[in-house]
Amino acid sequence: MSHYYPPEKYGQLNDDVSRVLLSTEEIEQRVRELGDQISRDYVELNPLLVGVLKGGMTFMADLLRMITIPIEVDFMAVSSYSRETRDRGLVRMQKDLDEPINGRHVLFIEHIIDTGLTLNYLLHNLKVRNPASLKVCVLFDKSRRRLVDVPLAYKGFDLPDRFVVGYGLDFRERYRNLPYVGILKSEVLHANNNGS
Amino acid sequence: MNNPQSQPDSTAFVHPIEAEFARILDYYGIQWEYEPHTFTLTTDDEGNVTEAFSPDFYLPQQDLYVELTIMRPKLITKKNRKIQRLQELYPHINIKLFKRSDLRDMMIKYGIDEQAANLLGTDAQTNES
Repeated sequence: MSHYYPPEKYGQLNDDVSRVLLSTEEIEQRVRELGDQISRDYVELNPLLVGVLKGGMTFMADLLRMITIPIEVDFMAVSSYSRETRDRGLVRMQKDLDEPINGRHVLFIEHIIDTGLTLNYLLHNLKVRNPASLKVCVLFDKSRRRLVDVPLAYKGFDLPDRFVVGYGLDFRERYRNLPYVGILKSEVLHANNNGS
Repeated sequence: MNNPQSQPDSTAFVHPIEAEFARILDYYGIQWEYEPHTFTLTTDDEGNVTEAFSPDFYLPQQDLYVELTIMRPKLITKKNRKIQRLQELYPHINIKLFKRSDLRDMMIKYGIDEQAANLLGTDAQTNES
């Protein structure tokens, strides 16, 4: 049984969702399976789990507690493309890793991959630091929109071609705290984009 | 990851969404070319080209063509047919279609409100409650 509140407890956030795609229990079960697999694959390797702020923190927090071997954790943050950043050129590192990773077994943890643009950039950035190994664990995959192929060592779920929120996935920085993944109602999407 | 071929400000894009797409690729260091190739789809009895297709973008590092469409889902039958024909005639070609809803979601994700607003009204996201 999940220790999270039921969907209706989330009030307006839950009301803005038209359909639950992945329940809290389904996500918990899959995260546990991923944790078990990573615990087996990285035994005695003391892996460094690298997460991406902000969206990836939910998955990272749950996943690392399902891993039963010694691990270390670090985070990165990069500027995303936006109206404000697009004229500045390339992606800018907002928070780098705290320690060098040369010779370390690095497992990159990301909550979602769609085009693969951000992940591709980050992996290039990490590869030049000469880790002993560098693999990727993604919880949600929207593969139809992939522009850059990124090898995924671990994957949680395939997501359909819809605008989804919850479990770290946001719409204008909201809905990340929903403990499930759901499709945002079209009127919510439209209302916000019309400035209302 | 340099980007010598990308020139979004000097390329004559047909639609503003293509310019935005090019700027996104530039931002993430992905090389692109705009409509670099035209593929013959049909010819007449004398060998004259009667139908051709020029995908919007080619990403050389990925060996991937990308076609963008802002047409509403009910109106993209002709585009889908062209892509299907392209894949039949040129099976080694990798091509991806970014539909109106894909582009809308991409613009929402990156907070490009003016482009996202232009792409609303699609039935790609329906209320299924």
